[in-house]
Amino acid sequence: MSESGTVGTTLRAAFATAGAPGESSVPALAAARLVLARDLKLAFRKRSQLVQPLAFFAIVTTLFPLGVSPELPVLRPMAAGVVWAAALLSSLLALEMLFRDDAQDGTLEQYALSGRSLTWLLAAKTAAHWLLTGVPLALMAPLAGLALGAPGSAVPGIIVSVAVGTVALSLIGSIGAALTLGIRRSGALLSLLTLPLDIPVLIFGARATELAISGEAYGVPVQLLAALAVLGLTLAPLAAAAAVRINLE
Amino acid sequence: MAWTWFHRLASPPHVYRVAGRLTPWLAWPAALLIVGGLIGGLVLAPPDYQQGDGFRIIYVHAPSAWMSLMVYTTMAVAAAIGLIWRMKVAHAVAASCAPIGASFTFAALVTGSLWGAPMWGTYWQWDPRLTSELILLFLYLGYMGLRSAFDEVQRADRVSAVLAVVGVVNVPIIHYSVVWWNSLHQAPSVMRLGEPTMPPSMLVPLLMMLLGFTLFFGALLLVRLRGEVLSRERSASWIREALHP
Amino acid sequence: MRAFLDMGGYAAYVWPSYALTLTVMVLNIVWARRLLKRSRKEALRRLAIGGTEV
Repeated sequence: MSESGTVGTTLRAAFATAGAPGESSVPALAAARLVLARDLKLAFRKRSQLVQPLAFFAIVTTLFPLGVSPELPVLRPMAAGVVWAAALLSSLLALEMLFRDDAQDGTLEQYALSGRSLTWLLAAKTAAHWLLTGVPLALMAPLAGLALGAPGSAVPGIIVSVAVGTVALSLIGSIGAALTLGIRRSGALLSLLTLPLDIPVLIFGARATELAISGEAYGVPVQLLAALAVLGLTLAPLAAAAAVRINLE
Repeated sequence: MAWTWFHRLASPPHVYRVAGRLTPWLAWPAALLIVGGLIGGLVLAPPDYQQGDGFRIIYVHAPSAWMSLMVYTTMAVAAAIGLIWRMKVAHAVAASCAPIGASFTFAALVTGSLWGAPMWGTYWQWDPRLTSELILLFLYLGYMGLRSAFDEVQRADRVSAVLAVVGVVNVPIIHYSVVWWNSLHQAPSVMRLGEPTMPPSMLVPLLMMLLGFTLFFGALLLVRLRGEVLSRERSASWIREALHP
Repeated sequence: MRAFLDMGGYAAYVWPSYALTLTVMVLNIVWARRLLKRSRKEALRRLAIGGTEV
């Protein structure tokens, strides 16, 4: 925990309780905000790790023209699907970062024992994960779209659809990450668990992006994406907290 | 007291004994219903006016598809009970369900694909129901993969129980989104018969097969459950009596 | 009889479907019984090793 520095000591002080767990000198929301800030700060110290999912996204996107055809008229109909498939896979890759370090150095255990709502703390970690991977993906996705033949007018729609969709992806992914916490080399299993649950996000997200690319109104699928994100927000941290507790026993 | 039967259900020796005695009461009616359904479906039912004799695949496809969903739901409910009430037996039920459900999901996929093949001209179409079944198979495989990743049975039980509950919430969402996706592209959907309602000669064998398969699942579950319960038991006293009658 | 086996021309689709489903059912029976047998054997082995806590 020596890396945590000032954020860590502040956290530790905040979490320290005078007596039995159950007493809280800091309410759940404030603790969550501290966890969010800590995760963001720690992530920025290892900037190379932040770039890897984005590089992966770029490479995967490149595979499709190479494997299919360099002609934009051929690529444009599948641009939305390719962008989303690549986004799904990149988001999976980034899930490794979510819990692993904290599980290894005992921070996660501290969160579970702290008497604060583990659900809120994990929600904060997931929020940090989205800010660190989902948002950058949303900003990179238009570039991939353009490279696959999308018009410039599609850019706002692509950003919106990927930004909202990755919220749901981070939340769904947090469940899989929590379930596979103690398992060594869990990459393939994590994918097998997470990708089927991601499929509704893929369907609505790709539809929204496709509509944006063809210049039509994309409101309905984006609303459906938002509904999935809200559902995820209410249920995923709960499930993840349950899974983390079981794995820490 | 109303709850004693529930508490007795939690007792492994009780479950082991009762499951053993109950199995023939499910297995034999299942066999009769299935044989009767086969005769009714293959021989007695008239050919469909649109699909001819090809529609008879429904008598194995529909029960398999029904099994795939029913077993998953049973698994999720048992998992939830195991999590909430910390019942080993409930977790044993969930563990027993998975291989049964996965194999029938596979059967539903293959028979569904064979059913559509003569109409489509290809062996696979991204039909919404087939696509949903395929995703369901992935859910089963994920559940079984997660279970096998843990050495300790208790942790495997509880972690996979969380997954089962999360999965069952998602099944309707996944199905709805796949139907929506499919409707956008108007791909052909074959799984319907020529007439709007089925005449009794076609319907009765189908119901017999559905019920027969359900009872068959019950019998299979009881056999597997006994094995799972035994493997979770530590205290030897009741085992000694149960295995040396 | 031949008409029955021919299934109105759909034989190549109908009979493999039935064969596969029957196979799945039989395999399930075999697996279930094998699991129970293995669990019984394992429990007896643990009993033989001795002790009230297995």
